Amino acid sequence: MNDALNTATRPEVEAFVAEVRARLTDLSDEEREELLGGLEADLSDQLADGADLRDVLGDPAAYAAELRAAAGLPERARNRGRWLPPVRRPGDLGDDLDRVRAWFLGLVELRPWSRQAWDVASAIRPAWWVLRAWVAVTFVDQATGSWEYVTLVPTLGVDLLGPLVLLVAVVVSTLIGLGRLWPGSGPDRPLLARLLLVVANVAAVLLPLSFQLSDQHEYDAGGGGGYYAGYHDGAHQAGLRLDGDEVRNVFAYNRDGRLIQGAQLFRGNGEPLLVRPRDAHLGRGVERTVGCGWFNGTSQLFNVFPLAERPQRRGSCLEEAELRDAGPVATPEPPFAAVPPVTSPVPVAEPETEPDTEKPGETGG
Amino acid sequence: MDTTQLLKGVLDLAVLAVVEDDDGYGYDVLRRLRTGGLTEVGDASVYGTLRRLYAAGALTSYVVPSDEGPHRKYYGITPIGRTQLEQQTKDWASFSDTVTALLHHQTPHHHQQGAAS
Repeated sequence: MNDALNTATRPEVEAFVAEVRARLTDLSDEEREELLGGLEADLSDQLADGADLRDVLGDPAAYAAELRAAAGLPERARNRGRWLPPVRRPGDLGDDLDRVRAWFLGLVELRPWSRQAWDVASAIRPAWWVLRAWVAVTFVDQATGSWEYVTLVPTLGVDLLGPLVLLVAVVVSTLIGLGRLWPGSGPDRPLLARLLLVVANVAAVLLPLSFQLSDQHEYDAGGGGGYYAGYHDGAHQAGLRLDGDEVRNVFAYNRDGRLIQGAQLFRGNGEPLLVRPRDAHLGRGVERTVGCGWFNGTSQLFNVFPLAERPQRRGSCLEEAELRDAGPVATPEPPFAAVPPVTSPVPVAEPETEPDTEKPGETGG
Repeated sequence: MDTTQLLKGVLDLAVLAVVEDDDGYGYDVLRRLRTGGLTEVGDASVYGTLRRLYAAGALTSYVVPSDEGPHRKYYGITPIGRTQLEQQTKDWASFSDTVTALLHHQTPHHHQQGAAS
């Protein structure tokens, strides 16, 4: 089996060997090249011979460790944080980029459809170069001057300036994409340049989201603001509310118009109609009182009304009375001593029940 | 059973054996070992072992350039390597006999015990 296969090196193999090399930086140049010499050919042949890509190009760190161990070389010296003077290689971040790149390329190679998709994506890279140029100019357009709609050709406030700047941006972006202008693209570049490009590309993806946000912001500040503000308040603020204001206590009266003590209220779906403990306060300073829930065992229920009250300068009734220097718990003053009696719309044949045994809790949801 | 640990001790011997008659590059050697039955052997272990044997003088190496692909690094056995192979072959035979005898609950001869340690 000595036939020469003469396999061209695949990019994943190169990336993988670069990965492994990055983990042998503590060895001398001679030792390292001795260890890596011919490795690309060996790995390429393994793949050409039908070995599974994932088996051959696994974890480069583990691979480097196995190489070292078998070659009788010491384990990698821990030299993280020593990358400030970048003598040979600016450290682990570059390794990480290589690893992500190798992992991604390996992933793409796994399936025919992903290979196709990657080919398509590679072919339409120029479209991305144009798009990111547009995003950059539009961002500047949005960030400067008064608010305006996002347009296909940014205006920049002056005639012809927008199209001109866009054209220049597209040219620059394309030159960078082609690798002719700093920071360029591709793996064999300084770490800083690679990082800068990654950051710039991520920004180009994320910036359009800010277009949407600034749009919304400007709209709120304009004529429709009041409606939206109210809508957001209602949508985002928790607790029991009426017209956007917190409900702090509830007083239920029976059909005879007499106040019910301990009315337990639920929505039609069984959810308790809760007042939030920290909303259930009235007045300020020495006048301040907090609402206290009725007890079920030791836990306070805040859907049982009316809530009792006790003087307390800060916090809610859930806190220890001693800690907050709270006053005694008392029954609150109802808004009405009594209200007019009412009759049920449902015809009832049975004799009237006693008012005190009235069943509360038929509140609609 | 997991033969990985067993393999470590005899990988030098196995690698020397498969290049004894015919030079080979890394993947050649790996293929010969796997074809020969050591299917579990890891490629990095084999490549690392080749490098170590080369550093120890048991192997020579030379690069064969390729027009299309990357260069291949071939390894061939040296006189030192042959001596090592002979010695280790004897050691292995003796060791193997000893363990086999142990496994059959026989009392091994004294000189076999010595070789095993």
